Amino acid sequence: MRIAIDTGGTFTDCVYAHNGRIEILKVPSTPHNPAQAIASALMAISRRVAPQSIAPLDLVCGTTVGTNALLQRRGGRVVLITTAGFEDVLEIGRQARPKLYDFFGGRPAPLVPRERRLGLRERIGSEGEILAQPAQKEIRTLIRQVRHAKPDAVAICFLFSFVNPIHEKQIAKALRAAGHVVTASHEVFPEIREFERTCTTVVNAYLIPVMSGYLAAIEEIAQRVVRSAPVPKPDRRQRNAQSQVRVMQSNGGIVFARSAASEPVRTILSGPAGGILGAEYVANLAGYEKIISFDMGGTSTDVALLEGGAGTTNESVVDDLPVSVPMLDIHTVGAGGGSIARIDQGGALRVGPESAGADPGPAAYGKGNQPTVTDAHLILGRLGGAALLGGEFQLDAARARQILDRARKKSPSLRSPEQFAQGTIDVIEATMERAIRVISVERGHDPRDYALVAFGGAGGLHACALAAALEMPRVLIPQIPGALSALGILRADIVKDFSQTVLLRAPTTPPAFRLLQDAFKNLESHSRDQMRAESQVAPASPPASYEENSTQRQPSPTDHTSSQIRAFRSLDLRYTGQSTTLKIPASKDFQKAFHKEHEQRYGYADPTREIEIVNICVRLIGRTPKPSRPRSRSHRRDARPAIVSQGKVYFHGKWTASPMYARSQLQAGNQFSGPAIVTDYSSTSVVLPGWHANVDAYQNIILTRRKN
Amino acid sequence: MPRHFHPIRLEIFKSLFHSVAEEMGAGLRRSAFSPNITERRDYSCAVFDAQRNVLAMGDHMPVHLGSMPASVIAATNAFNLQPGDAVLLNDPYAGGTHLPDLTLVMPVFPAQTKRGKPLFYVANRAHHADIGGAQAGSMGLSREIFQEGLRIPPVKILEQGRVNRDVLNMLLANVRTPKEREGDLTAQIAACRIGERRLQSMLTKYGWKELSHYAQELLNYSEAMMRTVIRSLPNGTYRAEDFLDNDGITETPLRIAAKIEIGGDRAVVDFTGSSPECAGSVNAVRAIAESAVFYVFRCLLNDQIPATSGLMRPFKVITPEGTIVNARPPRAVAGGNVETSQRIVDALLKALSKAVPQKIPAASQGTMNNVTFGGTDTRPGRGDKPFAYYETIAGGMGARPDRDGVSAIHTHMTNSLNTPIEVLEHTLPIRMRQYSVRKNSGGKGKFRGGDGIIREFEMLTEMEVGQLSDRRKRGPYGLAGGSPGKPGRNAVKSGPHMQQILAKGHARLKKGNILRIESPGGGGWGKPKKR
Repeated sequence: MRIAIDTGGTFTDCVYAHNGRIEILKVPSTPHNPAQAIASALMAISRRVAPQSIAPLDLVCGTTVGTNALLQRRGGRVVLITTAGFEDVLEIGRQARPKLYDFFGGRPAPLVPRERRLGLRERIGSEGEILAQPAQKEIRTLIRQVRHAKPDAVAICFLFSFVNPIHEKQIAKALRAAGHVVTASHEVFPEIREFERTCTTVVNAYLIPVMSGYLAAIEEIAQRVVRSAPVPKPDRRQRNAQSQVRVMQSNGGIVFARSAASEPVRTILSGPAGGILGAEYVANLAGYEKIISFDMGGTSTDVALLEGGAGTTNESVVDDLPVSVPMLDIHTVGAGGGSIARIDQGGALRVGPESAGADPGPAAYGKGNQPTVTDAHLILGRLGGAALLGGEFQLDAARARQILDRARKKSPSLRSPEQFAQGTIDVIEATMERAIRVISVERGHDPRDYALVAFGGAGGLHACALAAALEMPRVLIPQIPGALSALGILRADIVKDFSQTVLLRAPTTPPAFRLLQDAFKNLESHSRDQMRAESQVAPASPPASYEENSTQRQPSPTDHTSSQIRAFRSLDLRYTGQSTTLKIPASKDFQKAFHKEHEQRYGYADPTREIEIVNICVRLIGRTPKPSRPRSRSHRRDARPAIVSQGKVYFHGKWTASPMYARSQLQAGNQFSGPAIVTDYSSTSVVLPGWHANVDAYQNIILTRRKN
Repeated sequence: MPRHFHPIRLEIFKSLFHSVAEEMGAGLRRSAFSPNITERRDYSCAVFDAQRNVLAMGDHMPVHLGSMPASVIAATNAFNLQPGDAVLLNDPYAGGTHLPDLTLVMPVFPAQTKRGKPLFYVANRAHHADIGGAQAGSMGLSREIFQEGLRIPPVKILEQGRVNRDVLNMLLANVRTPKEREGDLTAQIAACRIGERRLQSMLTKYGWKELSHYAQELLNYSEAMMRTVIRSLPNGTYRAEDFLDNDGITETPLRIAAKIEIGGDRAVVDFTGSSPECAGSVNAVRAIAESAVFYVFRCLLNDQIPATSGLMRPFKVITPEGTIVNARPPRAVAGGNVETSQRIVDALLKALSKAVPQKIPAASQGTMNNVTFGGTDTRPGRGDKPFAYYETIAGGMGARPDRDGVSAIHTHMTNSLNTPIEVLEHTLPIRMRQYSVRKNSGGKGKFRGGDGIIREFEMLTEMEVGQLSDRRKRGPYGLAGGSPGKPGRNAVKSGPHMQQILAKGHARLKKGNILRIESPGGGGWGKPKKR
């Protein structure tokens, strides 16, 4: 049985397929030990289903363990080995300060302090030539120093190792022989820019102890669950052996736990990546290819643009640390339900990025003393009542109103708490509108061509307003907005990304083309070697911005698995002299495609300029079997049976009578018009006046603007 | 129609204008060609109203803030701008700062307009790695602006949407790396167009009346924020002075005298008593002094304020003509923007430390350690390609009243990044030998100054190397009993010999020579005994 688990801050969501249905289970998260929540979820599932169907267990986890360990600086003790003379690259970074106008600012302390950064006299030149070989004697001294420092893991990053990794390989081998856990930069991220590569390598080494401990615990839990299932003895060993734990990576694919344990840096945005896949899946079912996903939670909002698949970026920054492995291109803003609203000294209403978080939480939760976005929704009647989580949690509306009223008095032009609340919502919606513009308009995409897929606890509260502001024609609110990430994880394919910096002039002659082909062939065969471990796969569809490599479609007689893994090649290109690159599928006319993309993104192209190939990239995809979701045959238009109450909601400056619908009672085919509020177990949606709602055959709510 | 100030609309428009500037910056960085723009981000982008007030400026280079409006004023004084036009300029005496900073100004009209009066302007300024003149990199020691490079008064680089090839060819014929310059200029034009398009769509969405109303409210808002900062300072007159080592021609130290008078919510900043304009190239134009004033006061506010012209309203800035803070043509000015600007900040901070000692850090490195390299790449297989490269090197931050200064970080008037070593070696005939924190260079104190940097460049071909740096004689001052940071040092190693070289000057280095720069540490804060 395949079970997907997404560990969030408040809930651990589980999604699994059983008897042709997709089932959801939510258990409270256990932040001090996330594995505990997973154990209780698995136990609960094994009680719900026929015990013998649990094994073999295929457990797929989205995890924030790596991210949290990084944010809270709870990683392992790392020794960093660099080229001598460059031990401080990690500390100096890009020499800039994060905040321009702040005498008291600074940058976070490096993950490895000076005394654990060791230099080795070696040097590779920019073309891969060996300028200085490390002396055996100095290697021995180095290994002694490393042992002395008692590290949990060792990171190695030498200059130009992405061109020639010979010295990194040599030192990694020696250290592994001495019993150390090692991450060498050419293994995780063989690309140009020493600081970004060093930092990515160090983050990886830093997270290894935490992640391997966590994953070992999960494997142990999985084994326990399987062992406790009543299976006839002869089968048991085989079933246990077939059970596996896999982990969602930030690139939108899954890998085996042991692979994630050695490359934890690839799992940093694991949870949000699941959300993107979930959004893509439900949108595709509803017939939408081009979507903008909008995931709004308590403290932050993630948006992404998908067009036949999600794009990836290698410019991610987590807590001011560059983490350059490919991640789904998700744009995050510090705006969520817990964002705090205030009138500043100049009289402007500001919302966020400060957040009341889960503790103290919004004023209505009873502890917080500052007004939040959630409080604003509550006093405007948009939460559909004073209870959350199906009545388990009561909200204090009077308290929220009082605190909002106190805050609004700082501005003479705000005459009521309602005005302050409406303003809070307007401001946060403007922030989110900008976030969506960043990923669409600013990159040459017109939001009017896209559907907005809104999820997360607060996504549905703002979806209509955002779509209206961006003139997007439709909004999709999936059936399980609170567990979409787990649903995405359940359906994820195996995805492995490999890249290599080559810095080649774009080829114009046949020999140069052959050179490029050879470089791709080498990278791909290396990639396939690595992928071979990840078995059980079927063919896949190509992701965006990758070109499928047709030469590999025929299965080779000697290598069975490689035929089921599809390879997609792409190029990171720029005009010679530029710094950042554009990712273009490695088709025959990639140069033409580059000029076109450059024009679209930056407003000009110059076909007379030389193009430089910075990186060649190979993505291997192994398709996993996927449970499908049943279509409902219901055609009932009348949504009135789902109305649980009538309420008053504040829209556009006045209170308007508005029905409250229970999401769980809406059926496929139901139709209704705004104003309306739809409440769910862990989320609420607002249907604005002028919008029309339609429940589709997959229980998604599709919102469209009524024509005048 | 808005008739009054509305806190919600204000917040929304504030972010809208700011995002236009940020987006222009992102476009410029991603599509330009030289490492100084793409990797080091030595540029600024801004949005202006019809009266040429700054409405928004990206978080780029503080030194450009006060001086960008001067460019727009110069451009609009020179021409009656029409749709499709754009003006290029770099003349420090007509809206510029120093010659390598090329500024593009574009008027913005509603979409589809054929003629009329601009409703907004957008502008961006980028530091080009070479703009001709006596020395590669155009930052060398000079006695007159004519030696520093090509001086460009406002000229129409775009007319009715078409590039003025005559002007462009004239420019490209006078620089060392024309292809790179052309690419960077193309990216600057494209960035202006991004700003133009965004403002046009805002005009369509909100209408001119509302936009212009909130543009004015935004200026008032910044002004109000700045007034709260000034009001929080005790009334009084605070004086201080600090010195540049020299002008590179004579050995005389150059004084920056600052007098700050705080009265209620207004401040007068008077630089009377500063040294007369000098023979070398550390002369600053007035706009630089204004930028420094703006920067220092903005840092005192513990909140984000939009960088608009409104911030300057509570100030009267006095810069006597003919001094080092308000030089006249034809004085050389390359270092005014990068070195004198830092010393003006140091003098202002020292004065303010007497008013609010708990809010003011000790002196940071106080220089940008400008280095230029230029010549012909004679290595085999490189086709004798010409090259020109410019960078600045970070140093120690001054200690703060409650914590140590940060090491190896850019401070005050600049925030440009480094060029990655691997990018630098891939593009230029240079090999890096060392890049490290200069240990124990920060001043001692209860809180220590941050350490400087050691950076060593090996020449792989013969080339021209220029230095423009300061704080080589006296280290950055400490406060409240803290010691000064160590002064910087510039040296050349050839074989086993190491020789100190002048902090301002240029030399032809041979293949195999190594240039070593040690940047200053920051000053300490408080008595070391109390640590």
